[in-house]
Amino acid sequence: MNLATFAVGAVQLALVVVGGPLLLGLMRRVRSRLEGRDGPPITQPWRDIAKLAHKQRTRPTESSWIFSAAPLVLVATAATVATLAPLIALTPPLAASTDFIAVIFVLLVGSVALALAALDTGTAFGGMGASRALTIGALVEPALLVAVLALSLPLHSTNLVAIVADGSRHASVLVGPSHLLALASFIVVILAESGRLPVDNPSTHLELTMIYEALILEYSGPDLALVTLGESMRLAIWLGLFVNLVAPAGVAANAGAAALVLGLVAVAAKVALVGTIVAVYEVTTAKLRLFRLPELLAGGFILALLGVVTGAVMR
Amino acid sequence: MSAVALLAGLGVLAALAAFAPRARRVQLVATILVAVEVVGAIVAIHVLVIDHPLAGHTTSLLPITGLHIDLTPLGALFTLTTAVVAFAATIHWVGYRRHAMSSVGASCAFALFVTSLLLVPAAGDIVTFLVLWEIMALTSLALVAHDHALRDEARQAAWWYGAMTQGGAALITLGLVVLGAHAKDPSFASIAASAHHLPGATRAAVFLALFIGFAAKAGLVPAHVWLPRAHAEAPAPASALLSGAMVNLGIYGIVLTRTLLGVGPTWWWLVAGFFGVISALYGSLYAATSTDLKRLLAYSTSDNMGLVVIGLAASGFFFAKHPAASSLALIASLVLVTAHALYKSTLFLGAGSVQYATHERNLDQLGGLARTMPVTSVAVVIGALSVAALPPLNGFSAEWLVVQSLVHGLAGADPVTTVATAVFVAALALTGGLTIVAFVKAVGIGFFGRARSEQAAHAREVPVSMRIGPGITATACVVFGVAPGLTLSAITRASATVAPNRSGMTATLAGFHLGALRGAVDPLALALGAVAATLVVAALRQSRGPAGAAKLRSFEPWGSGRVLTSARMQYTATSFAEPLQRVFDDVLAPQHDLDVSHAVESRYYIERVAYVSANDDVVERRLFRPVLALARWWGVRARGIANGSVHRYLAYGFVVLVLALVVVS
Amino acid sequence: MTTFANALASAAVVVTVGAVVVLWRHRLRSIVLALAVQGVALAVTAALLAGHEHDRVLFAVALLVLAVKAVVIPGLLVRVVAATPGARESDPLVNVPASLVVAGLLTLAAFIAARPIVALVGGPTGRLVPLGLATVLIGFFVMVARRRALSQVVGLLLVDNGIALVAFLVTSGVPVIVELGSSLDVLFGVVVLRVLLARLTAAGFSDLDQLRSLHD
Repeated sequence: MNLATFAVGAVQLALVVVGGPLLLGLMRRVRSRLEGRDGPPITQPWRDIAKLAHKQRTRPTESSWIFSAAPLVLVATAATVATLAPLIALTPPLAASTDFIAVIFVLLVGSVALALAALDTGTAFGGMGASRALTIGALVEPALLVAVLALSLPLHSTNLVAIVADGSRHASVLVGPSHLLALASFIVVILAESGRLPVDNPSTHLELTMIYEALILEYSGPDLALVTLGESMRLAIWLGLFVNLVAPAGVAANAGAAALVLGLVAVAAKVALVGTIVAVYEVTTAKLRLFRLPELLAGGFILALLGVVTGAVMR
Repeated sequence: MSAVALLAGLGVLAALAAFAPRARRVQLVATILVAVEVVGAIVAIHVLVIDHPLAGHTTSLLPITGLHIDLTPLGALFTLTTAVVAFAATIHWVGYRRHAMSSVGASCAFALFVTSLLLVPAAGDIVTFLVLWEIMALTSLALVAHDHALRDEARQAAWWYGAMTQGGAALITLGLVVLGAHAKDPSFASIAASAHHLPGATRAAVFLALFIGFAAKAGLVPAHVWLPRAHAEAPAPASALLSGAMVNLGIYGIVLTRTLLGVGPTWWWLVAGFFGVISALYGSLYAATSTDLKRLLAYSTSDNMGLVVIGLAASGFFFAKHPAASSLALIASLVLVTAHALYKSTLFLGAGSVQYATHERNLDQLGGLARTMPVTSVAVVIGALSVAALPPLNGFSAEWLVVQSLVHGLAGADPVTTVATAVFVAALALTGGLTIVAFVKAVGIGFFGRARSEQAAHAREVPVSMRIGPGITATACVVFGVAPGLTLSAITRASATVAPNRSGMTATLAGFHLGALRGAVDPLALALGAVAATLVVAALRQSRGPAGAAKLRSFEPWGSGRVLTSARMQYTATSFAEPLQRVFDDVLAPQHDLDVSHAVESRYYIERVAYVSANDDVVERRLFRPVLALARWWGVRARGIANGSVHRYLAYGFVVLVLALVVVS
Repeated sequence: MTTFANALASAAVVVTVGAVVVLWRHRLRSIVLALAVQGVALAVTAALLAGHEHDRVLFAVALLVLAVKAVVIPGLLVRVVAATPGARESDPLVNVPASLVVAGLLTLAAFIAARPIVALVGGPTGRLVPLGLATVLIGFFVMVARRRALSQVVGLLLVDNGIALVAFLVTSGVPVIVELGSSLDVLFGVVVLRVLLARLTAAGFSDLDQLRSLHD
């Protein structure tokens, strides 16, 4: 633990904070273009956040402390993970204890806080959003943890930095079938965790189909700005982890300035690319019915399980 | 030894103090009980610090073999955990007495229950163990049956609990007696020394008998059916002890079985792991779909004990090939047991406070308590987030360790172990997700939102002692969650009673480091980082926007264009769990009954819609009900045999006598 | 970990994943597509083994597998599907999530059951046998759990592909004549089934449970 690692953490945090809303803007822009619209500029989410930040804060009449606290917790947990995860370099602060499972659970704290806040609003929509989001979250969990188990097989460690470093050193790990299966299931997990199609339509406000939007329906002003920021940071983190597990090329191996700049550019480019792919996929697909989702998530689980079996077989 | 005698003596004194006049009774008993708990804690800490068992023997108290005390570090860990939980429960009780549990019988039973809970892990031989075990079972039964005159459910609960606990005790007695018969004396030490001379089949039979007996106490499926009934019906301080201390002793029993019999063949632990997985999944699923707050907690206890048994099973079958992972799994289970004791007692005490304030356990009738009962609700939120294994609370570090032991145990595992480990991880994950649903529901529906009933709307914060009780355990959840290293050396020593520690694991104040097994986690760093970030973001939020009083405006929430007048438009616990219930329809097999009565004039007009949805325990319905029905059928049949005629009874005796003569000759 | 071992394992994994996809998807067209991909993966497996062992005959077998299992048989089935556009396995006997969990358990069971074979054969090929065995088991399960006549045929073909995969891995290549024989057998069987399917569809049956009415 030294100053250089904290510098890495600060750069990562800055990248995720600044880049998260831009990623959201990029994905919206790609979608609009493919749907034949011009669409708002990529910086639109940032403009929205800036606008909302100057408004008055509001809260439902009968809400309690959790309603005000949840946006803070959402952003704070995302910021913690953004600082500690190996996004642009293999030397984030406290690399030895950057555990994959810990990262997942810290992000989960944000989701739980938001769900509790939604129930705190005392409306039908809040409950609906919380209920659906958590049901999906519960069903995603097996796929997620078994995928982590498959990824941990080569090193027998769930240390995230070690896993990414191993991939960047040995290309054979990256093309191993166990690794690929785990990542395939990871795709399903990311789509579900970050509320993208076909799990949830991020641009819907149709009352009976929305999941995530129902969850945050009562937020406005600075709180909504925080929630938007937090969600976009989470999306950026999930995609950042994904690209680093798929192709860690460019991730800085040390905290040197040149390596960091290269890592920053490489990760930003890769995440932008994957974000574009997700957006294109979203245009071509339709939302699944809520009760068809278990099929998708069970599929993700089976892929991860096959990953574990293949990894164990090939030892 | 004298300290243990002091403990027992004080316990008896507390029980006698229950006969004091009503006005000061509970305060008196509670004061003495606090002394009992403090002595228990000191003895346990002493044993854990000197890392040497505390042994003693006296023939004056019990006939035949006398009283044999042997408090190992393992036992001391359980005694210490019980002491902390019992301390919180006793303090809570002082306030709770105005609601219930103030009679002579209840006070006496509570005092003896606490004392026996503290002493069971100190038992050094079979007789002492069984006697203390029975005292614990009977006193807890009395507490479960506390409301028998008020509610039929309490009577039912007592029946179920009594049957399960006595059935379990019979199996435990059987197993221990078989072991004792082959050892030179009935002390656990000599049983452990001689058990490996037993033939394999006998050992296996003893293992199964003891495992089933202790699993019934720990509330593993399918012997869990008493748990949701007894935990729900017992008064809050008692149910906190049932779930926070007594079920732990079921786990203690399973660990004791391993120390007595050795690790044994892999299949033992596959059987144990199977029941662990079933319990974890089943318990969490029912917790997620329950609407009764205390039943929810009880199912979650079953689920957590399942996770602990998964850890013990992993420790058992990693033992031969991967001793480090085996040690890690054992330590992880013990960490989880202690963590569970703390958060579940917080939750049960909190649920008791809610019952005190609202006379209501049904989540569908609660809501809005966070504003009216701030202290209680903060304690309950902390407990709930701990069960949900969210960092930086103590449930997280415990479950993290369990997962780590599984991840590392996969190294060099044979296919059977690999498969079992993969199943364990999947079960752990699904359980974790369902537990989050269950506890977000419990807290979000019960404590946040708007009050769903008159009682909930008029709830007032409970007396100060009822805030302190759960406050203590909730604080412990936070402290041991943020700095899990505090307890590790004690738990490592406790695990060394069972098997030498090979995990190479170390702990700093901040977290766990697994040494040669690569892995580490620092909840303290995560907590500090997250708290710092929260403060920064909060400051930013404050600094933006209009200044002063104009900052925060409350408004009517969105009701699709209408004004939300009724709190009944909120989601309820039932509707919250509905998607999950539909997903797991085949497993839960809930019963719905929709009755639409039409108006006489036209079928287009609906007069009344009655909807009944029952989600009762499927194991109870499908497994135990038929067995009970069979028993009842047999009972009715058997009436014909005993028709009251003296001649017929004499004839039975005569026939038996003749048969006996024939057989003997 | 050599490239060969990785590639071989990946191909074998695709065969198993193909079987899982058959359980996963509802649209019959996707199911047939999964079968075709599985055929390609099987051919790739054989080709990899052929390249590794420098065995020209095995290479011929790979080509044969490609032709029959990846082109001809799926082609025949596609034409059945085309007869009823948009046909779906809409209401399987065992629902999809449960089927997938069963598939996972079957894979784990195969992993345990294949221990003797793995121990016997060993090496980078033998250890992949569990994947083939899992494919066989999942194929059987498809026949048990799916209603559509076409799904039954696909289930049978999954079993066959699984057996073929095990055969390749265990013997590092079946004698060409055996593979030729079995491939032609299967092809013949599929032709017969395809004719039968066409007749059934013409007669208005597509759900095999409806055939129960013939019982009385």
